[in-house]
Amino acid sequence: MIELYHVWKQYQKPGWALSDVTITVKKGEFCFITGPSGSGKSTLLKTMYREVVPTEGQIIIGGKNILKIPDHKIYLLRRNMGIVYQDFRLLFHRRVFDNVAVALQVIGAPMKDMKRKVFIALRMVNLHHRIWDYPSHLSYGEQQRLAIARAVVNNPRILLADEPTGNLDPKLAVEIIGLFKEINKQGTTVIICTHDKELIRQFGDRILFLHEGKLLRKDAA
Amino acid sequence: MIIYKAKYFLRETANNLWQYKTRHFFSLTIICLSFLIVGLFLAISNNLRDRADDLSKNLVIVFYLQKSLPAAEQDLIEQQVRHSPLVADVRVISPAEASEKLLQDFPGLKDILMNLQTNPFPASIEATLKDPRTPYDQTLRFITEMKKNAGVEDVQFNRDWADKIQSLSRLAQAVGFFLGGILILASFIIISNVIKLNVFARKSEIEILRLVGGTNTFIRIPFLLEGISLGMAGSLLSLFLLLIITKIFPVYLGTSLGALQELISFRYLSFSQVISMVAGGGFVGFLGSLSSLSRFLRI
Ligand SMILES: Nc1ncnc2c1ncn2[C@@H]1O[C@H](COP(=O)(O)OP(=O)(O)OP(=O)(O)O)[C@@H](O)[C@H]1O
Ligand SMILES: [Mg+2]
Repeated sequence: MIELYHVWKQYQKPGWALSDVTITVKKGEFCFITGPSGSGKSTLLKTMYREVVPTEGQIIIGGKNILKIPDHKIYLLRRNMGIVYQDFRLLFHRRVFDNVAVALQVIGAPMKDMKRKVFIALRMVNLHHRIWDYPSHLSYGEQQRLAIARAVVNNPRILLADEPTGNLDPKLAVEIIGLFKEINKQGTTVIICTHDKELIRQFGDRILFLHEGKLLRKDAA
Repeated sequence: MIIYKAKYFLRETANNLWQYKTRHFFSLTIICLSFLIVGLFLAISNNLRDRADDLSKNLVIVFYLQKSLPAAEQDLIEQQVRHSPLVADVRVISPAEASEKLLQDFPGLKDILMNLQTNPFPASIEATLKDPRTPYDQTLRFITEMKKNAGVEDVQFNRDWADKIQSLSRLAQAVGFFLGGILILASFIIISNVIKLNVFARKSEIEILRLVGGTNTFIRIPFLLEGISLGMAGSLLSLFLLLIITKIFPVYLGTSLGALQELISFRYLSFSQVISMVAGGGFVGFLGSLSSLSRFLRI
């Protein structure tokens, strides 16, 4: 369960990237965050894995106040999450394989296991034929799919995806969200930021609408 | 799991070292030279100490006799030496033997000796001491006693030499440690700076590792290994160069000094010195990167 209570975030004065956001996402929920550009979608997501620390408010994930976790323990929170960043954040001088494997390496997974899991994850996003290539040789859409493979490779309990279909054609976008839906069915909580109204219409159980940092609509499924 | 991690770290370290090879190559060169200087002075000190030890193992007093001393008087002196309680063994060396020995050691001097017509060497009596640890003043008393003999022209005691060489060895060691200390400090600073550059160069990568749940240790270990590898590689390389120098130096001297090369057999460092050089290199590397990480790679 992810709970945000009166979360405010100010990067620079004046103006708030988030103002008084209170939401609860239950375990196993599938939920979209949408809103115009600059409305604070990425910021909201970033507070959930503590890349961004809110100016005010509390965030509780799995019963733990993540703002109280000491810096050197924050990895424990992140190991339970798969995150697709809006800017991908790939290791550009490592191969596609290593980019996915890194999520397993940090938890010390055995090599044999790792190869199998990496391959499965890459096949899910239809990128397994580029496994020994470098990310810089991939198209934007392929890089995005690589970022998705890394996020799902170790069956995270929470999947946070920031514009995961931003560079994909509609057909592939539907496929990817379908994939997230599959993962969601196995119990993973999924939160997706997107502009894509078509996707929301097709898959939206629950939609959170942000506007200038404020939550406008809170309709539960 | 530990093996998988070890594999990962080693691969990561190798990748990183390779990625910035120019930087690493230059720092390696300087580290290597620093350790080479330490090693050179250690080797010199070792060799001097060996020489001194050789000398003091059998302390010899040589009494040079007056030229054309009557045989009876020479016998008398020999008897006197033989009867001293300090002396273990006595050898009388005739002028002919002396010149022969010199020719053996320095064949190049043959022409000069031949031209001299007469033999320039006096007869001498070599007395080997029973105990190399005989107190100096006792030996000295014996020598002054002997000098009272009119037939004794000059006395040489190689203990003096041993002492001089011994203190030279200590000097070489001290100079080595002083220079070495400064140079190793320089190595430390170089490694620490290289690691700092590496940390900055890989900022985004470090960020990603943190976001996918890497612990601090996990992120730091490759950097530490890089420092250790640089330090160790530098000292290993310097030991290799030193080996070449100790092999080539005597050959070089040999060609320029002829038979003298027998006197300059240059010995390499002892096993424990080699080990401590390598370990020292690794340790300097470890400290260098640790100091950088504690400043530039806080949590
Ligand atoms: N690091 C930052 N420093 C200063 N301001 C920031 C920073 N990150 C975001 N902002 C500001 O906060 C506001 C919300 O940004 P955010 O990235 O969350 O929007 P978004 O909804 O994800 O937009 P987009 O749809 O374009 O990705 C914006 O006005 C942005 O300029
Ligand atoms: Mg965004």
